[in-house]
Amino acid sequence: MESRNRGMGGRPGIQRGGRVMVSSATLHTSMAEVVVGSMVLATICAVGCLASRALAPSKINNESLFITMDRASLAGSFLALVFLPIAIMTGNLAAESHSSSALLYNKFVYSGLALGFWAAFVIGRIRLGEALWEARQLAILQSATACMAFLMTTISASIGGKLSRGESLLDLLPFSLPLDSASILPLWASSTLLLLGIISTTVVFRLTLLRVHITD
Amino acid sequence: MNRFVIVTLLSVSLVLAPGSSLANPGGNGDADRDYSCGGSCHGDPSLSMPSDATIEITLGNEAFSGQAVSVEVTVSDVSSPSNIVGIFLLSSLNGNSDTPEDHGWHIIQDPNGGSSNYIETKMPPSGSIAATWVLLSPETLGSNNLYAEIHHGSYGGEKAYTGVSEAFEVFVNDVPEGLPGMSNEWVAPSFRVSGDDSPIHISTRNSTDISVEWMIEGEWEPIPAPVQCTSDSEGGVCNDWEVRIPATMGEIEIIYRITTYNGTFSIKQPWLKMGTAPPPFEGDIWSARAHSFAFALLVISMLVSLQGRLSPTVKREEIDEKGLVDNSSLIRSEDNPGWLWNPETGEWVEDQEYKEGAE
Repeated sequence: MESRNRGMGGRPGIQRGGRVMVSSATLHTSMAEVVVGSMVLATICAVGCLASRALAPSKINNESLFITMDRASLAGSFLALVFLPIAIMTGNLAAESHSSSALLYNKFVYSGLALGFWAAFVIGRIRLGEALWEARQLAILQSATACMAFLMTTISASIGGKLSRGESLLDLLPFSLPLDSASILPLWASSTLLLLGIISTTVVFRLTLLRVHITD
Repeated sequence: MNRFVIVTLLSVSLVLAPGSSLANPGGNGDADRDYSCGGSCHGDPSLSMPSDATIEITLGNEAFSGQAVSVEVTVSDVSSPSNIVGIFLLSSLNGNSDTPEDHGWHIIQDPNGGSSNYIETKMPPSGSIAATWVLLSPETLGSNNLYAEIHHGSYGGEKAYTGVSEAFEVFVNDVPEGLPGMSNEWVAPSFRVSGDDSPIHISTRNSTDISVEWMIEGEWEPIPAPVQCTSDSEGGVCNDWEVRIPATMGEIEIIYRITTYNGTFSIKQPWLKMGTAPPPFEGDIWSARAHSFAFALLVISMLVSLQGRLSPTVKREEIDEKGLVDNSSLIRSEDNPGWLWNPETGEWVEDQEYKEGAE
């Protein structure tokens, strides 16, 4: 039977022409695990940095801890940002059998939101430097960005669980997210939105680069 | 030292936390599957345990060669219930070619509305399930065996349970020539799209007429549906029919029963079920991709502009001019207001802070 061994602890690799091949679904799972792991680290450390600056210095809350958390959050988010596009691409290949479902559409949208939030987190940290944690409002914004990014990644990963295993950890929540229905945009509207995104990003970078350079 | 112990304990706890794992707690979906799904956790003696559930098979009506018969599988007394139970209807326990279709049966409808020999269903709190398959009996007369097998887990998820019924003997009787019944090729539709009132196609054999009665699941009074022959009838026999059953919305399930006639002789077929499906998803994958990257760029632009707005700024004038006067050897001259003397270069420099009329 064609479907007999599917998803029931089958072999991870398939021999084809003398080479061992790994299915895109397996590759996607491993990439997603790298992304989620790195993002958990980055989010915890980002919130830790905010807490470290908000609380009074002590034996535990010292400068060394702050620097470690700041660098860990940067490293974690940077690693996740590198692997996120790979996870999205392998997910694209693995999703052929679900090519028309609201869940998949929502997974794309949430992956995009996660990518945006994580990219903004890394850009902010690199451009403004370690000093961003000294400005209270910026520190709050940076931590909130990390939390939102983590939330989007979690929802996106949960949709993956729904697609492949029929369930996810979000099922444990006392309320249900409307992930089975999607607000569909026609291709022309999505393309217009994408163009708007490219223009706004270009404009924002051109305007804020100058500002940051002056500050530096 | 204290910190090291805390971190070690925390790490060990995190590693041990996801110790118990489940293979496919969400199931594998309805499909045609052989006994024990060779290679699965439920078929592996080292990973599975026998289920203590009671599994029974009953026939809804007497089986005649090539005629529809309903087979009900009852699963009860499951002592380690899980969220989901998989039920197989099998014709042998060999591990290959076990499905009823492999032994001459034809599945018209499974309990979930499809046409598979393996279905998955939610376990009700009562721990008892009744699942009905509607099949066409094989042409082979005499004794035919059917088996029911179940697969389930437990809330703890530590083991995969499996259970199989005793062989259930179905005696297939001969039928007189020209007995009206359902076509061997016909599979009952499992669902209609919400709001769809297009006619349902039914294929029969040896029938001069059919009647269809329907009702919503849970009701008691069936309603007759208009039927129409869609093929040229030869000698009064018509085997292609269209029946009009009203459109349904939401999650309504309709059950309907076909009665086939040949002259004055009639046979009531088993009740069939038809669910309501949501309209097909019309989203385009490229639209989703563009939508995704658009959101990513819009979020980046919004947050980067916020970062720029919230970042503490120092004005260029403050840096350049104050620093120049305070930290250099520039000298203010009362004789030349608005100008500073730079003794190093021997040149006059414009005083940016000078305001006319101010002291």
